[in-house]
Amino acid sequence: MLVFDQLRRADQQLRWLSVLVLVGLGILLAGLWYVQVAVSQRYQKSLDVQTFRTVRVPAPRGRIVDRQGALLAENQPKFQVNLYLEDLREQFKFEYTNSVRKQFLAANPGRVTREQSVAMQGQARYQVVSNLVWQVSSRILGTPLILNARVFARHYVDTLALPLPIINNLTAEQVAVFMERCGDLPGVDLEVQPLRNYPNGSTAVHVLGYLQREDEIPDRDEVVYRYRLPDFVGKAGVEGAFDAELRGEAGVKSIQVNNIGYRMREDQQAPEVGQDLQLTLDVGLQKAAENALRMSGPETRGAAVVVDVRNGDVLAMASSPSFNPNSFLGTISVEENNRLNDPKLTPYINRALYGAYAPGSVFKIVVSLAAFEAGNLDPAKTYYNQGFAMVGRRRIKDTAPEGNYDFKEAFKYSCNSYFIEHGLTVGAQRLIEMGHVFGFGQKTGVVSPKQERAGYFPKTGLPQKKDGTTWMDGDTANLSIGQGEIVITPLQAAMMTAAIANGGTVFKPRLVRSLRGALELGSNGIDSVPSGVVRSLIPVKQEHLQHIRRAMLADVEETGGTGMNSFVPGMRVCGKTGTAQVLREGNVLDHVTWFVSFAPFESPRYAVVVMVESGASGGATCAPKAREIYKAILAKEQKQGQGWALAGGGIP
Amino acid sequence: MMLAQYSTGIFPSPKINPRERALEWPLLIAMVALMVIGAIFIYSASTATDPTSRLYLRQIFFYVVGVVAAAVLCLVDYATIARWATVFYWATILLLAAVFVVGTKRFGATRWIDLGFFQFQPSEFAKLAFIVMQANYLSRPIEELRSPGVFLRSLGLTLLPFVLILKEPDLGSALLFFPMGLVMMFVAGTPPKFLLRFLSGAGLLIILLLVDILFAPPRWQIKLEDYQRHRLLVYFGKDFAQRDATPAERQRARELQRQKSYNVDQALISVGSGGLTGKGWRQGTQNSLGYLPRAVAHNDFIFSVIAEEKGFLGSVTVLTLYGLVLFIGIKIAGQARDRLGKLLAVGVVTLVFSHVFINIGMNIRLMPVTGIPLPLLSYGGSSVLCSLIAIGILQNVHIYRRSY
Repeated sequence: MLVFDQLRRADQQLRWLSVLVLVGLGILLAGLWYVQVAVSQRYQKSLDVQTFRTVRVPAPRGRIVDRQGALLAENQPKFQVNLYLEDLREQFKFEYTNSVRKQFLAANPGRVTREQSVAMQGQARYQVVSNLVWQVSSRILGTPLILNARVFARHYVDTLALPLPIINNLTAEQVAVFMERCGDLPGVDLEVQPLRNYPNGSTAVHVLGYLQREDEIPDRDEVVYRYRLPDFVGKAGVEGAFDAELRGEAGVKSIQVNNIGYRMREDQQAPEVGQDLQLTLDVGLQKAAENALRMSGPETRGAAVVVDVRNGDVLAMASSPSFNPNSFLGTISVEENNRLNDPKLTPYINRALYGAYAPGSVFKIVVSLAAFEAGNLDPAKTYYNQGFAMVGRRRIKDTAPEGNYDFKEAFKYSCNSYFIEHGLTVGAQRLIEMGHVFGFGQKTGVVSPKQERAGYFPKTGLPQKKDGTTWMDGDTANLSIGQGEIVITPLQAAMMTAAIANGGTVFKPRLVRSLRGALELGSNGIDSVPSGVVRSLIPVKQEHLQHIRRAMLADVEETGGTGMNSFVPGMRVCGKTGTAQVLREGNVLDHVTWFVSFAPFESPRYAVVVMVESGASGGATCAPKAREIYKAILAKEQKQGQGWALAGGGIP
Repeated sequence: MMLAQYSTGIFPSPKINPRERALEWPLLIAMVALMVIGAIFIYSASTATDPTSRLYLRQIFFYVVGVVAAAVLCLVDYATIARWATVFYWATILLLAAVFVVGTKRFGATRWIDLGFFQFQPSEFAKLAFIVMQANYLSRPIEELRSPGVFLRSLGLTLLPFVLILKEPDLGSALLFFPMGLVMMFVAGTPPKFLLRFLSGAGLLIILLLVDILFAPPRWQIKLEDYQRHRLLVYFGKDFAQRDATPAERQRARELQRQKSYNVDQALISVGSGGLTGKGWRQGTQNSLGYLPRAVAHNDFIFSVIAEEKGFLGSVTVLTLYGLVLFIGIKIAGQARDRLGKLLAVGVVTLVFSHVFINIGMNIRLMPVTGIPLPLLSYGGSSVLCSLIAIGILQNVHIYRRSY
């Protein structure tokens, strides 16, 4: 071979020359191998770092619809006029050579230093861009905008690879004007971004939740992004609980930049649209429930829940006061912010799930069941109410007038002494066991454990008090009228009422019906979240339940019943009122008023629970609100038939 | 055997066999291959940033001119050419001097004489003239070479162009005269002790110089051109800032350092990111996106472009072609009919080798940045013409290896 022939040469000097050349080429070969093969990755990385700018592109959020497919949360296109600086480089150069530098040289003849040249190039860029901004804005807005030189300088240094936003949130008319009149301007283009919109404003806001701009960077991302386009994170409600599903997968835009930082090319890994979410709510009923709550004033503190008693679907869940979730996407006024942070109004709180209150007389339903189950309640047997009940040395006032009461009468007039008597006979232990059948003191598991309160209810077994003191008969008496060692949420009350209505099945409430990716849209029929999941069965005979249902009917339909205000012609409503005292250190601070009900009596379909804080009484404050809700239900049934709530509805 | 036949006069008239006078074909093929690669990648490097660039056409034009010049050169026996050695040598010395009077200044150095269509760079031609002059001077009886006078005069021939080119300033090109001169002396038969003495002296001087530049406080430093000092600091990875610098000075020094090491850093990224197989012709981003400065991508840093677009395999191909040229050159030197031919060939081999080693070495940070072009691949008329004429000299030595 050529090389070795040379090395074997007799001519010694030439042999040395061969060795020199061979070693030299060997060094180059080794060096090249090291740089290009051994540590090539390192240089590839440096190249990526200097050449690519990765931008996180948030995915369009999944929509939220009601049980019949009406939109509760959607994405609206948000139009923004952007300026792409890389398209203006020729103009920058032209402006610099023909205007800025010329003027400078006219004033200061001589050489231009590097610093002066850099400064003048910056000035030339600003002149070109601000002129364009002036033109675009005067055409679209009618009034010209002045580009802030420092804002532009910062954009040029920090985010040159990204377009410079000029005008945000264009109206449809402004978009039309842009299309028509801005086609001749270089480097200007329209960008469309999806923006969350809640078309019904504050309707169902507590169920939906709201979005907030994501400020801190979550560390779940694997890719290290150079830039992040604004993204929103779901707070509260289903927006919060199903944030990951609704949000989808963010896309990655990888912008190739040149040595100055101008965008040359971009590749995009498209974001994956989030899944759509279907709720069990019905917008019409939801609005009716919210309007009913606000009957006595917009700042009424209360909650209303409508449940399908046949399967536990939540048809409406209202909480008041409320707020508009759209306002979080823009800026919030100081007044609105103060209202949102008011400790008494607490508009953020979903009172139906996160408010826990003493049930008052509503709990008498449980006392009745426990007494029936124990076999020591004869509905026909009368009891003499002397106007008060004595427990030990304590005298508990009775709102029902003195006289003889059988079960129905006692229930109708909500006779405290009757139920205290039966409560004491049955004993705290059995009362507590019956309460556990309805899941008191436990979360229903409706959306997310974080968004729900369990309330409070003693544990089964030997009754124990929360504060550790001994359980006395007085505590049993107190519990018998829904006071003391018990607080429940309106949703728990609704599930209890539904169980009475449907013949003894306590369902797990369902608020989310389906979660579907965009591809499966329309191919509906089967809900991804099962309906009618049974939590427990009430261990009592049907005839005993029928006694309670009759008593609840009497409470609404018979004269003297506490729930008469909920009477609706055309639908036989059965109900029970409750007024609980909010005590602190023995003093009555406030009242919580309740009305739990179901309808129709003959074949129950709906349970409606209304709770109002600081109300006058269950019958006076809550029953009329329930009536308004039943009216809406009736109207809906008349329009869509009685089976509307069971019919399948898809995501449109 | 053949030689014996000629010398014993078996053939009455020693007519030159056309096959015997033939060119060294592998050398020609390697040369053409390098020119093709050069044209292809100058096209890639220049049109990536400026689609209307016609630099590759100019390069092809110089290839043609160079090949014609080399062919013409081969018509005349090198011995005849060597007779004009002194004329060539002093003519180029004159031109080098003339650069200071009529030269054009580019990138802070005066290296070119503007001929209108062509920026003539005398230092390139000085290398060739030097080879011929040195070969001619050294092709004398071996006994004379042992005298210090001859050694010193030969050294003087080397130093004269060195000093002139150093003044341009073009340190890289100037320093090239030493390997050429010394290797030629060594091969000619100058006693190694002379060379070793000179080398150890020069080596000591260089080390002192480097220590001075790199470590001494500013007042003690030898005045170098700023850019030279910077290049050395970059090469040795030294901080630009002086030890007692204020934060502001340090800041400025760091910025300057970033600027000064920019070319090397970008060249390394280009070469390294090419990986094993490269990104494909015209697919390299370092050049098209402007990271590799447009002014150097097609000339001094053409190797970066090739290495990025064709990867390690491309680099090996280029190295192999140069290896072919060099070893054929050495073979030609060994087969030359006399010491003049041998020295001419050795001079050309050293010239090409130094260029290749320094230029490719610079692309992977083995060598400091100098304006030494890559023979035949780098864009540039003077460099292309000289490289082709140099290879023409090799062919000449080969063709006339047995004409007596």
